[in-house]
Amino acid sequence: MTTPLDAAEPAVQAAGSGDGRPAYRGTLRYALSKAGGALLSVAMVIIGTFFAFRLLPGDPVRALAQGRNMTPAQLDLERHRLGLDKPLIEQFFDFVGKTLRLDLGTSYEYKRPVIDLIGDRIGATLLLAGTGLAIAVIFGLWQGIRAGWRPGSRFDRFSTGVSLVLWSVPTFWLGLLLLMTFAAGIGPIPGLFPTRGIESVDAPDGFAYLLDVGMHMVLPCLTLAAVVYAQYLMVMRSSLLEEVSQDYVTTARAKGLRDDDVRRRHAVPNALLPTVTLVFMRIGFVVGGAVTVEAVFSWPGLGQLFYEAIRVPDFTLMQGTFMLIAVAVILMNTLADVVYHVLDPRVRSA
Amino acid sequence: MKKLFARLAVLGVALLVAGQGQIAHAQEPAAGKKIVRIGATQAVDSMNPFLAVRLVSSSIHRLMYGFLTVPDPKTLQPSPDLAESWTTSDDGLTWTFKIRQAKWSDGKPITAEDAAWTFNKVMTDDAAKTANGPAAENFESVTANGQDLVIKTKAPQASMLENPIPIMPKHVWEKVTDMANYDAEVYPAVGSGAYIAIEHKKDQYVKLKANPDYWRGAPKIDELQVIFYDNPAASIVGLKKGEIDLIGRLSPPEFEALKGDSNIVQWNQQGRRANYLQINHGATTSDDKPIGDGHPALKDPKVRQALHYAIDKQKLADEVQNGLAKPADGSIVPPMYTDFFWEASGDTKVSHDVAKANQILDDAGYKKGSDGVRTMPDGDKKLEFRFSIHTDTPIEDKLAEYLTGFFKEIGVTLTTKKLDSSKFTEETGTTALFDIAISGWSVNPDPEEVLATHLCSRRPTASGEGGGTESFYCDETYEKLYQEQLKELDRPKRAEIIKQMQERLYTDAPVIAIYYPNDLEGYRKDRITSITPIPENNGILYGGSGFWPFYTLDAVAAPAAGSAESGSNTGLIAGVVGAVVVIGLGAFFLTRRRKSVADERE
Repeated sequence: MTTPLDAAEPAVQAAGSGDGRPAYRGTLRYALSKAGGALLSVAMVIIGTFFAFRLLPGDPVRALAQGRNMTPAQLDLERHRLGLDKPLIEQFFDFVGKTLRLDLGTSYEYKRPVIDLIGDRIGATLLLAGTGLAIAVIFGLWQGIRAGWRPGSRFDRFSTGVSLVLWSVPTFWLGLLLLMTFAAGIGPIPGLFPTRGIESVDAPDGFAYLLDVGMHMVLPCLTLAAVVYAQYLMVMRSSLLEEVSQDYVTTARAKGLRDDDVRRRHAVPNALLPTVTLVFMRIGFVVGGAVTVEAVFSWPGLGQLFYEAIRVPDFTLMQGTFMLIAVAVILMNTLADVVYHVLDPRVRSA
Repeated sequence: MKKLFARLAVLGVALLVAGQGQIAHAQEPAAGKKIVRIGATQAVDSMNPFLAVRLVSSSIHRLMYGFLTVPDPKTLQPSPDLAESWTTSDDGLTWTFKIRQAKWSDGKPITAEDAAWTFNKVMTDDAAKTANGPAAENFESVTANGQDLVIKTKAPQASMLENPIPIMPKHVWEKVTDMANYDAEVYPAVGSGAYIAIEHKKDQYVKLKANPDYWRGAPKIDELQVIFYDNPAASIVGLKKGEIDLIGRLSPPEFEALKGDSNIVQWNQQGRRANYLQINHGATTSDDKPIGDGHPALKDPKVRQALHYAIDKQKLADEVQNGLAKPADGSIVPPMYTDFFWEASGDTKVSHDVAKANQILDDAGYKKGSDGVRTMPDGDKKLEFRFSIHTDTPIEDKLAEYLTGFFKEIGVTLTTKKLDSSKFTEETGTTALFDIAISGWSVNPDPEEVLATHLCSRRPTASGEGGGTESFYCDETYEKLYQEQLKELDRPKRAEIIKQMQERLYTDAPVIAIYYPNDLEGYRKDRITSITPIPENNGILYGGSGFWPFYTLDAVAAPAAGSAESGSNTGLIAGVVGAVVVIGLGAFFLTRRRKSVADERE
C-alpha cells in the first residue's frame, strides 16, 4: 500500500510506462492484484472479528440479564437461541457461512437482523460524515495551499496553529462545548441550533424540511470538520512546500506567469496527489469516524448504534458494525491505491 | 465569475426567505393542540412488547396496552385494569379474572380470549418469553370463557396480581408467525391503553396520540412525544431551552444543573432503587461447590457486621449523593413501598459506630499489625479487600474513596478495582472474583423479583453459567420464607414474611444497603400545568410503575400566535446564518480578486 508520506517524497521522474504495453492493461492488472489483497484482508477481518469478540470477557447472556429478573431456565434458553451453547468450532463455521451470505446475525438488544439495523442508519451517517468530510477537505486544502505557498507568513502560522489546536481537542469535548454555546445559548449568544437529532419531531415538509435538517446538521458537521481538517491542511501544505523549490516552478515563473497561475496551474496539481490518496483513505473511516459526534448530538446513525452496542454490550451488533467499518476502510484503501496509480504516472512505472 | 457568485448569493437569500415562510406555515397545524414532549436518555429497543426489555419501551407500552391489574395510584396495591374483578380457589391454584367490557382502539371488543392468547403465547413461544418470561413460568394453563379468564398455576403465586405482561389484541397479533424477528412497526398500533402509538422514528422519537375511546376516559392532552437523547447533558440543555417538557431519571449533578431556572420544577422524591454493597461471603455454585477468590475473612458474619458498623451512611447520602438520597436503615426494598419496606430498629439496628466495629473485630481475634492493618486470627493474611466498581462512573469512584476511609479506621484496607460493565457482571455474578462490589436494584411495587435474586437456585451452575444471582446467597431461613410468601395470599401477612426476609439479609449481611437514591426529575411548569405522580402523594413521574402520571397530565395548548412567532424566529435565525454565509463568501471572493490583482503587479 502506498502511504501518502511515501508519495510526498520525490519519486522517479519518468513519464508513462516504459514497457510499451497499453497503460490500461497495466492498471487493470494492478487493480486486480490490489483487489486480491483486499479480499484477503476482508477474510482476515472476518476471522479476526469472530475470535476477538469471543475472547472479550463477560458472558453476553449474563450481561443481557443485568438488572433484570431472569430465571436460570430463561438464561439457558437465551444461550440456546443465540447459538452460544454450540462448540466453538461449529459457531465459527456458522459465523463465516452467515457472514458471507451477508447475514450478520440478530442483535441481542434490538432483536432485529443487524444488517437491517445498519441499513436503517447508514444514510444518516453518510449525510453527516460525508458533509463533514467535504467541509474539512475543502477548508483544509484551501488553507493548506495558502499556508504552503507562503510558509512562515502570518496566515501560515495562524491557520496551522488553529488547526493543530483543534486537532488535539477531544471530539466529545468540543461537541459538548459547541452544544452548550450554540444550542443552549450563553449570554448574548442565542441558542440557535437544536440540541439533538437529524430533524424536528414535527418536521415540516418540502423545502422547509431540508432547512430543518440543515439546521440540525450545523453543529455536528462543524465539530466533525473542526477536529479533522488539520490533516488535510498539513499534508497539502507540506507537499506544496516540496513543489515550491522545484525547477519547473522556477521555469514557470521565468516564463513570466502570474504568481497565482504558477500556483494554481503548476504547483498545486502536482502537490495534490498525496492529498487525493489521503481523502480516499479517509472516506473509509467516514462510517466509523462519527461515533462520538453522533453520541453527543443524538444523531440517529451508525455511530450511535455502535455506541449503544458497546454500552449494552450487544456482541452481534458490535461484530456487525465493526466488520462494516473495517471493510469500508479496506475498500477505500484499495480504491485509493488504484486511483493513485491512474493519476500518477510515476507510480505506474515504478 | 464574479457575476456568477453574485447570482448564487441572491438565489441563496431568496431561498432562505422562502423557507422562512414555509416554516411558519408548517407549524400551524399544531396550534391549539396540547402536546407534551418527554425526554428519554435511551432509545426504544423494540416496539414489540414480547421482546422489549428497556425501561423506555416498557414505559411506552404501559401507555399503549392494558394489563390484568395495575398498581393503585394512591396505595400501589393491585387494582383493577382490564380485569374488573377476580377470585381465587381455596387451594390458591386457580384464578378467575373477569375481563372488562371495553374496546380495542380499532373498535373490536376486548375479550378473555385476547388475554388467554397473550399468556399462552408467552408460555409456548420461546421468543415471546424474552421480555416477561418469568411472569408466566408458574402457569399450568390459561383458558378463556367469554369474559372469564381462568389461570391455573403449578404452585401458589401471591404476586399474581402484579403480572407485568400487557394484554395484546389477538386478532392483530395471531398473524405474527416469527415472533423473534417481529418489530411491530405498524401504525397506528392497536391497543387498549390511554394512548395510541402513531409514529416511531428509530433512535429519534415515538409519537402517541390520545385514545379518545379509552375506558377510563380520554387523556386531557392530545399528543405525547417521547424524544430520545444519547447524551444526558444535551437533554438538560433541551429541557432548559424548551425542546422537551419533562425528563426523568436524572443523576444528582444533572439535577443540580436545573437549579435557578424559574420555569423548571425540580422534582425530588423518594425513589424506587436501593444501592448496596455485595459481599463475597463465600460464594458457591448451585451444587454448593466453592467458586471464586473471595477473602476468607468475609465468610465470618462478625467481619461483615463490623464493616456495616464502620459505614457512615448519612455521610454517604450527604456527600456522595449530594444529599439526594436517604441513608439505608433497611435492606433491599426502598421506603417508598410502605407496605413491604422493613426498617431496622432497637438491637438489630446497625448505626455508624467505629468503636463498636473495632470491638467486634478485636473480640473475634482479628489483631492489628504494626502497620495498623488487621490480620486473620489463624494466620497472617491481612484484611485487605478489593472493592469492585464500574469504570466511568464518578459517583462510584467517590463512594470508593469514602468507604476506603471508613474501613481504614477499623484496620481494614480497601483497594478499588474498576471493571467495564461486562467484566463486572461476570466477576460479581458468575465467577465470584471479588471481595466487595457495588450493587443495586430498582424495585417494583411487588418486590418478589428482587427477593428472588438472592435465592440458592440463582447461583451459577457447576459448568460456570450465570443464573442471575445478585449475592451468591444461599440461606435456609431465607429460602423457607421465600416459599412461604409465595403461598400467602393475604397481603398484610405476606408483607410480614417479606419483612422477615429483609431482616435476614440485614443481619446476615451478604448485602449491606447503603442508601436509597431519590427519584430526580425536572419538568417545565410553563408547559405542564398538572401531573400526578405515582404514588399520588410523593411518587415518581417517569419510569415508575404505572401509566398514571402521563394519563393525568395536563398541559398548555400550543398558542396559534406563538407558533407563528417561533416560526418567524427560526426564519430569522436561518436568515442571519444565511446572511453570514453570503457575506463571508462575498468577502472571500473579493479579497481573492484583490489578491490576484496584487499578484499580477508583483
